[in-house]
Amino acid sequence: MAHPSTQPSGNALSAAFIVIAVPLIGAAFLRQFLLAEDWRLVLGLLALFAVVLVVLERLPALETRIETAFARQSRLALLVGIVVVLGFPFALGGNTYALHLCVISMLYAVLALALNFQLGSANIPNFATGASYGIGAYASALLALNFGVSFWLALPAAAVVATIFGFLLGIPSMRTRDSYLALVTIAFGVVVHQLLNNLDFTGGPNGLVGIPVPELFGHAFSDPLVVFGHALPPQANFYYLSALLVFISIVFAERLHDSRVGLAWNALRADELAARCQGINVTWYKVLAFAVDAFLAGFAGTIYAFYVGFISPDNFTFLVSVTIMTMVIAGGMDNILGVIVGAFLLTLLPEKLRAFSDYRILFFGVTVILFLMIRPQGLFPQRLRRYGD
Amino acid sequence: MAVSSSAPLVLEGENLTMRLGGLVAMAEVAFTLKRGEILGIIGPNGAGKSTLLNIITGIYIPSSGEVRLEGQRLNGVPAHKIVARGIARTFQSSRLFADLSVLDNVVIGRHTHTKAGVFDAIFRRRRAKAELEAAAAHAEDLLKSVSRGLHAQRHRPAGELAQADRRRLEIARALATDPKVLLLDEPSSGMDDSDTDALMDDIRAVCAQRPDLALMIIEHDMRLVASLPHRVMVLDYGQKLADGPYEEIRKIPRVQEAYLGRKATQHAGA
Repeated sequence: MAHPSTQPSGNALSAAFIVIAVPLIGAAFLRQFLLAEDWRLVLGLLALFAVVLVVLERLPALETRIETAFARQSRLALLVGIVVVLGFPFALGGNTYALHLCVISMLYAVLALALNFQLGSANIPNFATGASYGIGAYASALLALNFGVSFWLALPAAAVVATIFGFLLGIPSMRTRDSYLALVTIAFGVVVHQLLNNLDFTGGPNGLVGIPVPELFGHAFSDPLVVFGHALPPQANFYYLSALLVFISIVFAERLHDSRVGLAWNALRADELAARCQGINVTWYKVLAFAVDAFLAGFAGTIYAFYVGFISPDNFTFLVSVTIMTMVIAGGMDNILGVIVGAFLLTLLPEKLRAFSDYRILFFGVTVILFLMIRPQGLFPQRLRRYGD
Repeated sequence: MAVSSSAPLVLEGENLTMRLGGLVAMAEVAFTLKRGEILGIIGPNGAGKSTLLNIITGIYIPSSGEVRLEGQRLNGVPAHKIVARGIARTFQSSRLFADLSVLDNVVIGRHTHTKAGVFDAIFRRRRAKAELEAAAAHAEDLLKSVSRGLHAQRHRPAGELAQADRRRLEIARALATDPKVLLLDEPSSGMDDSDTDALMDDIRAVCAQRPDLALMIIEHDMRLVASLPHRVMVLDYGQKLADGPYEEIRKIPRVQEAYLGRKATQHAGA
């Protein structure tokens, strides 16, 4: 109180400290978790994560403080985020498996963000995100194999194809609601899976093999990535590619959430009839949510196909859709950070619990239930909007 | 404050009939509403009051007859487009967007006056954001004018509001669409006398600020019906029983019987 003038700069300093420290701690935690071999260490890290969640749940003021710090220092936060994401592969010490898990987690993060437009924003239970993912993967792979289309062209083309299918799914879904709507999307997912399995040009159950490796300015993505004389494993190419896609998805998600469209989706989530009576064309906004979901899922599918080089119908089953849905629900509906954390957690958990062999799925389920008991609204629940900040 | 007899018609209904399956929910009802007029609608439960509101707002399509807003036929126009043409409503059991902030509820009411779509939101962010912030500023002013207490709570989730404030918010949200006609479905339900009085004052203030706004109010609270509307329409079993100033309609025995019940009629006779 003696020096009131130092108060604001002190706040800015501590805000900057929070904005730098939190992502670094998060990244360090993720690194340890990815590299942990011993099951005791894995459990210890999960317990630590649980403790952090308990603290956040008990001290809402702390959570608000961190949140305001990030809101105030959004530029710095973005910069720190970019540096951490760019530098992360170097911290993994050439561990290809850890990098591979990162790529898969990020693709699932994109899928979860895609589904979040529907499930989180508009409460549309879409069980067909896995199908849109598959349509994107197959569309791009078929373009590349049959017509020699390059990865960079196949990427938007596949997204467009997936979006068209998303619209097609959206139209019959509009006549139904809630559980019935869920049923229509489940049926769509099954139909897509069966078609991929039985059509000749999709390769049937054998799928498609020999999808060419993407190239950029003469650099093949199967070659090690050399940065400043430091060689990263080939997976790093796809790591940066998927990180870029996650970034784009976050931008999409944030901009749509903070827009008239996001508000309209939230309105129909809360009360469809009241939304109609505020002039919202409920049908159009639902179809739109299907299309946006399919668009992003199509992107993720393309990267997956070119990353793995081999796809089959079994990569895109109903179970994939359920997993994506769990990521959104456990992570936090309509919260971008929550959905991403949920995607990472649910992708990494089964891998890291391999020590329990036959019981790993059981442990996986128990862990998710425990986290949901600590944070019943998801790891990071939905927030109220603010204007003019 | 009487409405001049020369005021133009805003809303009119002609021969409105609504059959739901075998049930006739509404039979040949006609009504008119002038600019700046407040029309009360009374009648026992199941008389067809809410049916009438649902027909006007496009949630039901009448089996026959037609609704006209400033001479333009509304039958078959989808509900969300009717809002854009200038008819807004509240609901009997308040239907707020409970998990959104009070302010967001009103901002959503500006939906028909804003345009940004998915492409604007993503690629022309500046424009979309400016539009939304303007809508938020408008919503703040509106909240302030409807109720200072509500404005003070604008950053709370709407689901946490007290009953009276929920009603006020519903009215503010409906006003955000800049309606020519506002339909209120039992605004005082679930309120005690002092809340109802405060609500009536707020409604009067809203009307005073908007002399052209026409109101239709469905009500059970006789104190409100007696003092607020210029004219009262009585519905019973889906038919129009009477239509006139409160002083006149309350004398009609059939109205006393239909609305106030036999006991009241006997009391009146005794």
